[in-house]
Amino acid sequence: MQNFGSNNDLDEKGHVMTDQPKIKVKFEPKPKPSTCPICTVEYYQQFFDIEQRDVYMRIRCSLLSWKPEFYQCVGKNPDLWGPLWISTTIIFILFAGGNLSRFLLEEDKRHFKYEYNYMYVAVLVVYAMAFIIPIILGVIMKYILKSELGVFEIVCMYGYSLSVYMFVLILCIIPYNEAQWFFLMCGLANSTIFLLVNLWDFMKKNKQTTLIAVPIISFNVALILCFKFYFFRLIYAVDD
Amino acid sequence: MDYSNQKHPQNYSQMEDLKTLDLEESVSETIMRDLRMIAYKLKYVLIPKEQEDNGKELRNWDLWGPLIFCLTLAMTLSFKADSTTSSSKSDVFAIIFVLIWVGAFVVTLNAQLLGGKVSFFQSVCLLGYCVFPINIEAIIIAFVGSYLPFVVKLIPVIICFAWSAYSSVGFMASLVPPHKKKLAVYPVFLFYLFLSWFSLIV
Repeated sequence: MQNFGSNNDLDEKGHVMTDQPKIKVKFEPKPKPSTCPICTVEYYQQFFDIEQRDVYMRIRCSLLSWKPEFYQCVGKNPDLWGPLWISTTIIFILFAGGNLSRFLLEEDKRHFKYEYNYMYVAVLVVYAMAFIIPIILGVIMKYILKSELGVFEIVCMYGYSLSVYMFVLILCIIPYNEAQWFFLMCGLANSTIFLLVNLWDFMKKNKQTTLIAVPIISFNVALILCFKFYFFRLIYAVDD
Repeated sequence: MDYSNQKHPQNYSQMEDLKTLDLEESVSETIMRDLRMIAYKLKYVLIPKEQEDNGKELRNWDLWGPLIFCLTLAMTLSFKADSTTSSSKSDVFAIIFVLIWVGAFVVTLNAQLLGGKVSFFQSVCLLGYCVFPINIEAIIIAFVGSYLPFVVKLIPVIICFAWSAYSSVGFMASLVPPHKKKLAVYPVFLFYLFLSWFSLIV
């Protein structure tokens, strides 16, 4: 701040006379032109404005999927921490657990070949399910079907709907076909019910909005089929 | 050499520049100086008792140390990787390399988004230096792992993972407000878990 007042007179004691009109010119840095507000780090800080207690509550809401409480949990504060780190944890479990499950089945353990492709496929599948699909759905819902829910709220909801898979996929390491199908079905039911129950208010408006249930259910089914037939496939040793 | 027209050094890096102006210095001396700097920072980061000034030494961040440890780890693990499938070795190298740099980037970004006021490269530097224990256990397992049962292999893996995580958690947790500590620390834990898992299975 600089005083460019022309009446900077001093009194007898050398103090600046405050009743003189001064022209104060505040020097402020020019605000950066917002060519791409969505590209800055500051824009995303609003989605990380949560505490660890909030994350526990939201995961708890998603596990108790039949209660439509998620929007009460979230309030006006959708977050991206949950979706990001839940999906990254699932990638790790798929990579480690998928190979571990195959290892437990393998008879010739000394010559077990680790499949590194699991990493690439896991990253692709999980991040697509956690980010790309909800962004597309959210955009369709907001701009075409005129929903009040924003895109980031849908991303947040999808991210937390995947939280049940963190537990289900660890259990899927058990190398028994029936057990794996059972756990995956539980996970599918929980995840799909969570999404449908929380979108019910939006879906019951008209026939068009009810149709949104179709892609939601089909993507979830495709996800567990991918889990079962790629990551946790059971290969039985063939006798030559 | 005439230094009379040189400016008085304003900061640490200029001081270093002045020192390196001596072109008559042998290559080995230059390399030894860099290695000594890396060793000093390593001791600082990994031995908590050295950190009496709360991480101020990390302001002189460098990425040489992290690069050396990243390359050593990637090369050790890809050397040990199964060579019957042609792409395994390159897969492992690529995964480890990308994992370390992208992982450090994302973990630091996470801390910044949670409101942590930290220089980006300081945090990447710290996370890179803390990869050193995992390097040690990868080398141990690479040499003697095939003679040991799985359970015995787990012991150095767990110890080194705990050491890496403990060294970096203190710094990361101090960056963010107290009610967000676990949110900043969990990604660090996941990052070192990924790396430790790799050194165990390869």
